[in-house]
Amino acid sequence: MREKLIYLIAVGVAILLVANLYNILLVLPDEANQGAIWRIFTFHFPSAMSAGLCSFLALIGSMMYLWRRNLWWDAFAVSATELTLAFGAIVLITGMIWARIIWGIWWAWDARLTSTLVSWLAYAAYLIFRKAIEEPTARARYSAVISILTFPGVIISWKSIEWWRTQHPGPVLTIRGGGGMAPGMQPAAYWNLLALAVFAMILLSIRLRQENSQRLIDGFRRQVHEI
Amino acid sequence: MRFLRQSLVIAGKDLRAELRGKETINASLSFSVVILLLFSFAFDPSAEETRAICGGLLWLVFAFAGALILNRSFSRDQPNDCLDVLISSPMPPAALFLGKVFANMVLLLTVELICLPIFGLFYNVNWTRQFGMLFLVLLLATWGLTVVGTMFSALTVNMRLRELMLPTLVYPTMIPALLGAIQLTTLLAVGEPITPDDYAWLRLLVGFDVIYTLLGLALVDTVLVG
Amino acid sequence: MDSRNFTYMFYGFAAAWAILVIYVITLVSRERKIHQEMSRLQKLIEEGSRK
Repeated sequence: MREKLIYLIAVGVAILLVANLYNILLVLPDEANQGAIWRIFTFHFPSAMSAGLCSFLALIGSMMYLWRRNLWWDAFAVSATELTLAFGAIVLITGMIWARIIWGIWWAWDARLTSTLVSWLAYAAYLIFRKAIEEPTARARYSAVISILTFPGVIISWKSIEWWRTQHPGPVLTIRGGGGMAPGMQPAAYWNLLALAVFAMILLSIRLRQENSQRLIDGFRRQVHEI
Repeated sequence: MRFLRQSLVIAGKDLRAELRGKETINASLSFSVVILLLFSFAFDPSAEETRAICGGLLWLVFAFAGALILNRSFSRDQPNDCLDVLISSPMPPAALFLGKVFANMVLLLTVELICLPIFGLFYNVNWTRQFGMLFLVLLLATWGLTVVGTMFSALTVNMRLRELMLPTLVYPTMIPALLGAIQLTTLLAVGEPITPDDYAWLRLLVGFDVIYTLLGLALVDTVLVG
Repeated sequence: MDSRNFTYMFYGFAAAWAILVIYVITLVSRERKIHQEMSRLQKLIEEGSRK
């Protein structure tokens, strides 16, 4: 039943993505100064939001684990962190490609880019750390602490364009009184946001189920050793 | 108040142990001086270039030296099960943590204050003009580094790959504080006053310190005890 | 060469989709490994409890 529901939602997401892609590539016009490259924003922004959402879910999972000591929450935290890394990679790479055209350089060490890259590295270190500890409860406990300690970095990254003058563009969707994105182009970004966020949740539930299966397997393995 | 007294007892113990052996501080100092020399050879910066890079240079040196100090912080108590005894004592683990942060802070500050004159000598920089403000920045940033570093030192104390995992975990988390420290030190170390524009960096340092001290005190129980 | 910057836009889209596809592929392969391991262990347990 649950599997069917996931498949149904996944099909819905796929249809939405394709329809939106059609809109982005074939219906909407080029931007005046940027040409066709503005369309990357329709993936860059939703991926950033999804990555932020997943890192917040990882924080929730870690805190819930420390409160309840139920390993399900640890599985939840790992799955969310992996998704944060995947969507974070999309943000960084699409951003770099856009920057190559608009600024002429692949990278700049301004506050937003640096803090995003650093947070990405911190979550990668989280996964590396988990590989080094074998015992499940110790691993879950330490990982939860690390996850809580790395979350402020995400907040810094999010707020960096408000707190510092950065090369990265300021808020274009929430800016009041002009200077933002053309209103005809905004729905494309928002539909993609919905699609990618739901897709992230689907991947999260699949990965979560795999983690729990892995725990069952470890249990079986111990049983087999005893027989 | 009792909490603070317990932390100071631990800090005193660590510092006394360190003063008797002097291994960490010797290693840390010689490492810092060597790096300062190496940078001087490698880049041979002119006066203008030194002005531009001195913040980054100094804080890279301090960050690497700090990693050496932080590594030893909890691992020093591992022989003879000293760490287990400390954790099972009636003292709260947060006091143990705070004591070690104090001790590491003193050690790292000592290394920094010895490195500054050496830096001034080799790079021909007069760093004394803004020393009051510079010392404040040193205090704030070193506290940030040691709080985060001691926390991760507690996390990695029982791991096989401790020396590898500690820097991997600590450096990304430390970067906001390092960034603020570098920006401010670049101005202060060559004697220029900081402008109101730069107060944002000071706010960043203070905010970083407050948040990570609170997080550290709250979470160290979980790390050490379970 | 490309006044509309279309080539790089294509690279951008390709990169985003590629990362998503790679992640989905890793999920699928992990699922397969888990199934294999599960069935192997269940077989071993059945054999063990039969003896």
